[in-house]
Amino acid sequence: MERQNILNFMTNNRELILVHANMHKMTLKKPINVMLTPQFYTVKKEALPIQYAYQAKKIAPSLFDGLLEDDSVHEYMVFKEKGEDEDYWVFIAYASEKIVSFLEEKGIESRYVHKIYFAQQAVHDFEQAPLALGENEVLLVKDGTVVVAPRVVLGTETNLQEFKQTFTPKTSGISIKNSSSNASSFITQTQALSLAAIFMLFAGIFIIEGLRYKSDSNSNTEEMNTLYEAHPGLQASYQREAILNKYSTIDQLERKKRDSINTASKMIFKGVTLTQIYVDKQKFYAQFSCSTVTISKRVKTLLEKRDKNHFFTIKGEKNLTLEGAL
Amino acid sequence: MSLKKYQNELIILLSLLIMMGAYFYKSHHITQQREGGSQANQALLEAKKAINLKRIWADKSLKKKVDILQNIVAPSKVTWNKSKKKLYAKYTGLGPNELNKLITKILNIPVSITLLDVKKVGSNYNVEFKCKW
Repeated sequence: MERQNILNFMTNNRELILVHANMHKMTLKKPINVMLTPQFYTVKKEALPIQYAYQAKKIAPSLFDGLLEDDSVHEYMVFKEKGEDEDYWVFIAYASEKIVSFLEEKGIESRYVHKIYFAQQAVHDFEQAPLALGENEVLLVKDGTVVVAPRVVLGTETNLQEFKQTFTPKTSGISIKNSSSNASSFITQTQALSLAAIFMLFAGIFIIEGLRYKSDSNSNTEEMNTLYEAHPGLQASYQREAILNKYSTIDQLERKKRDSINTASKMIFKGVTLTQIYVDKQKFYAQFSCSTVTISKRVKTLLEKRDKNHFFTIKGEKNLTLEGAL
Repeated sequence: MSLKKYQNELIILLSLLIMMGAYFYKSHHITQQREGGSQANQALLEAKKAINLKRIWADKSLKKKVDILQNIVAPSKVTWNKSKKKLYAKYTGLGPNELNKLITKILNIPVSITLLDVKKVGSNYNVEFKCKW
């Protein structure tokens, strides 16, 4: 239902042109909807005990049997119309080829025709007043059917109405088939090109991103190759790991030694004398001589603050010994 | 004729296929970068780290840098014994400032300290220092 409303909305946005036998030739630049006068179709109204339109459509050819010209292929449209007492099924028979041919004769290329409606679909609009079709004919409603009549049947004082865009029926129209145009497409060329432009924009973005990822991978590979050229010994992973292990161990150990010496040097202030520092491959050892117990305590507090990993052990009262395994 | 009838749909279909192709192209390179990239990145990081560490701890100019330790105090206070990649140095009678200068220098030279023994003798310090590189 919602989809139908959207389609109606899209359809209603297009200009509606009334097509009749005496119309002038015209030039079109944008898609339109067309409303045909009874000159292009045959209508029959029947009150039948049928529930669905597709069932009515099945029996349509038999209803027009003998009424239509044999030289054309006819198609049928069926819809329900509300009558005063009961509902009627309205059967419309039309020849697409003839309609298309007439439209093209009048400059209405079928590629510009989006939907075709029949005047009978807007019967309630035509009931308001007759509508002039050129100088000699009028479109009027007779017994609930839209018909073309000579203008002389109307009195001279009869008010005529203008054709309005609001005549666009709410029920669906037909599309031209077997035509060289693209009007039968679900979407117009403009819409197709707009969508294509959006898709191509996304395609462009994806390709640019793809190229960026590709160049990132390439730059990593290039960097690796440059590195391996300068250091051929690092090409094999076991060689890399061996070098890394060797120098990581040295790095860690030497940093620890230097950190220990730095920590010990920070303990030296007024009242504290360094008496010994000893560092070898396995241990660190430092001795301080403090002038008072208070200073000694201060050294201990300072060490606790600095030694967050509890690497050192400190012993003694005034003569402090600082030890740590490397 | 029938193709022309559906030309709008074909335009959309074609552009959609191009977009999907571009998307798969991008996805392919992302996957490739993730799979191959993580291994390559790790190898690259390892290699860089190994090179940096080697540059620090196996610096070819260390031999010259170590010589600074010989001239940092008066020659009379130094006993210097340097072989190919090892050093044994003994410093005697260093004042606190000299000791401080010497220790700072030792800590800043990236050598492997095998022995550093600082002892206070009277008001001065004696230092025994062994290292290799």
